[in-house]
Amino acid sequence: MLISYQWLQTFFDTPLPPPEVVAEALTFHSSEIEDIAKVGTDTIFDVKVLPDNAAWLLSHRGIAKEVSVILDMPLTSDPLRLSNEVLPVSDQIHVTLTSPVCDYYTATLIEGVTVGPSPDWLREQLEGLGQKSINNIVDITNYVMLATGQPLHAFAAHTLAHGKGYAVGVRQAHSGEQFVSLTGEEYQLTPEDAVIVGGKDEVLALAGVKGGQYSGITDQTTSIVLEAAHFERTAVRKTAQRHKLPTDASKRYENGISRVLIPPSVALAVSLISKVAGGAVIGTKTVGEGLEVRQSVTVTLSQINSLLGLSLTISNVTTLLDRFGYSYEVQDDEEVTVTPPAERDDLTIPADLIEEIGRVYGLDKITSVPPELLVANQLNKRHYYAEVIRQTLVARGFSEVYTSSFRNQDKVRIQNALASDKGYLRSSLAENLREARAKNIPHRDLLGIPTILLFEIGTVFAVDTEEFKVCLAVQTNTTYKAKTDDVLWRTAIADLESVLQTSLAITEAGEGVVEFSLDAILVTLPTPSAYGKHVASPVVSYQPFSLYPAVSRDIALWVGEGVTAGAVMSALQSSVSADQLVRLTHLDTFTKDGRTSLAFRLVFQSDTKTFTGVEIDALMEVVYATVAKYGWEVR
Amino acid sequence: MQQPTGHIHPLSQIISEVNSIFAEIGYVFAEGPERELVEYNFDKLNVPQDHPSRDMQDTFYLQGDHERLLRTHTSPVQVRYMLDHKPPIRMICPGKVFRNEATDATHEAQFFQLEGLCIDKDISLGHMKGVLEYFFSNFFGGTVQVRFRPSFFPFVEPGVEVDMMIEKNEQNKLSGKWIEVMGAGMVHPNVLENSGVDSSVYQGFAFGMGVDRLAVLKYGIDDIRLLYNGDLRLVNQF
Repeated sequence: MLISYQWLQTFFDTPLPPPEVVAEALTFHSSEIEDIAKVGTDTIFDVKVLPDNAAWLLSHRGIAKEVSVILDMPLTSDPLRLSNEVLPVSDQIHVTLTSPVCDYYTATLIEGVTVGPSPDWLREQLEGLGQKSINNIVDITNYVMLATGQPLHAFAAHTLAHGKGYAVGVRQAHSGEQFVSLTGEEYQLTPEDAVIVGGKDEVLALAGVKGGQYSGITDQTTSIVLEAAHFERTAVRKTAQRHKLPTDASKRYENGISRVLIPPSVALAVSLISKVAGGAVIGTKTVGEGLEVRQSVTVTLSQINSLLGLSLTISNVTTLLDRFGYSYEVQDDEEVTVTPPAERDDLTIPADLIEEIGRVYGLDKITSVPPELLVANQLNKRHYYAEVIRQTLVARGFSEVYTSSFRNQDKVRIQNALASDKGYLRSSLAENLREARAKNIPHRDLLGIPTILLFEIGTVFAVDTEEFKVCLAVQTNTTYKAKTDDVLWRTAIADLESVLQTSLAITEAGEGVVEFSLDAILVTLPTPSAYGKHVASPVVSYQPFSLYPAVSRDIALWVGEGVTAGAVMSALQSSVSADQLVRLTHLDTFTKDGRTSLAFRLVFQSDTKTFTGVEIDALMEVVYATVAKYGWEVR
Repeated sequence: MQQPTGHIHPLSQIISEVNSIFAEIGYVFAEGPERELVEYNFDKLNVPQDHPSRDMQDTFYLQGDHERLLRTHTSPVQVRYMLDHKPPIRMICPGKVFRNEATDATHEAQFFQLEGLCIDKDISLGHMKGVLEYFFSNFFGGTVQVRFRPSFFPFVEPGVEVDMMIEKNEQNKLSGKWIEVMGAGMVHPNVLENSGVDSSVYQGFAFGMGVDRLAVLKYGIDDIRLLYNGDLRLVNQF
């Protein structure tokens, strides 16, 4: 939510500290400030208001109250604590509530207004907060919502005409009833939606969500009916969700704003309308109960200190409560009973109060208690044996991958998939590993490995059950060849069976892919007594890899006696930059007639482009020149 | 060409190391299903149906199955563990979780989370701070400081965001500054009661963080999607 620093200042007689100080105070004691922006002479904060506070914090008054408590500056102009002028009750207005969604409704009739553009201060204030200026009346309703958190709505009064007066009601919509919003979109309503209706029972607004086109304020409007109402949070949330129409108003209602916001919000709106648009209040009609009774909450000093890890005294606690302005009673210097203010719906259990006290006192003042060294009293058997399997396979040259739990077609369907090819949960790891194998085959030279040997350990899903499986995939050449590849996975499986001393429950084997159930063998394996030795994860600085193709060239050299492969490799690596020669692998060594031949594979790749054949040839010329310089001979 | 030794995926290496560090202070490695009951993923964790707090996690639901979903966090394992074990409880749970979110270099629709839970008498935010400093210092090396900021998660009260700062050193770009790493707090009494723990006797803390976030911070991985697509050009660097 966007909050204006200059607007916040209007709640205080004393000057606020600079915006950065206010932002830091809010971040560390209330709600995170996600962004600070200069807009004209103002500073706008983007405040991350979370659901626990949203009933009272989605407004400038709410944020100003937090600033007041945190910085210990009195809130001298609090709209919720002003005594408001009592408006005359009008018999001209009839309010009928038949929907359970609305339990409190105030309609105020104002005649003789001049609708037109808003004055600059109002337009600029709204625009600075990302709101569009519509006209002076609509702008004032939005301004008041941003001030107090209470949504308001203004109807052109003639659309409520009924006999000699005006009628407004809240009822459930009829099935299929139409509603055209202020911005012209059409909605088909359901009996679960609550609507505001006018004198002819026609739909004027979607209760708590959005006003309608028909009753909207235009330049010709001279009489208005101002609505301030309390709608039930869950019903508003469901209506907004059903019609995909979340609004500033619905967001406030679904978070449970209090009905006590209504009288001060009406008073503020009436006074602004009189100033900006003229006119006179004819009267008001209220139906329902506006009181909000909050239960008191008792918390002990030892509970506070025990949960927060602090050593507060009772006077620390009461000093903080005084800053909030809560009414409270202290018993025996050990217990305090707090009655939350009417607008706060979130203080119902001792932990809620403890949070209030802790965050304002300062979570930074919590000192850490180092943990005791203890032996975990239970070992995770699946993790233990998964680690044994990893170690065994890695020693065989296998590398571990993680792949997606989603498939394009399988047994268990996701109702709201991200994409059509991710519509199901995998029932096997095999397909994913086949795909991963195919993807890695072209990178063998780059990786400096002759064969792709992969495994994954992960969850697979049947219709009702899920289990951990292990899958291996192998391939030497660009296609699977039983003769070279089968032996690779068969040896790995034999290794595992020998290390685990059990036969594996193989569920799939073929074309270089083998899968078995880890869970099925766990029951047969002995309970481990200790985890393997703790190995710190490696100190690695990850290097992003190039997305341009790599090109391989082989070279075989006759070298003199005593020349090692390592010596040749360092000579070649110092002649071509590592940005270009990204991998150099020793392929083989053989000796014939007293001469030694060494063969190498050079892999060239650029971070910035695709190497052309001509560029590779030029790099090879550099390599040949180095070879010549050392007196080696290209075969 | 010889086949060299293979590579264990960095996430597995991290999970193994995390387990070793926590095992030394008595934390048990717990698990729960990835396809979880709605009741455990939300209701028992104090996230009521039709409450705005459900919007905090975009959820994958299953067709024709109204009781289960893809767990959005490892927190339901807290409930499962407390239902099955009496306090004192010290447990961690690394596991895969799912969020119905558009993916980019820092967001995946499936990723690993690390849950931690400690329940006993008189456990405070001070104990949590101590455990997290111990963990981060062992995991990242050097002295790591931890600080809390107020936040909200329905299953804790008070709830906090946790920032950490690795001791300044020239090799690590991320050292010497505060980095947001996890959400945490004191387990909400409703969650304790829903899980069969007497909240008038026991209290404790819980935390949850992304394991891939640990990988990003420790190794400088610039795109977390590469952790989940089976590409050896990443795996074989570890």
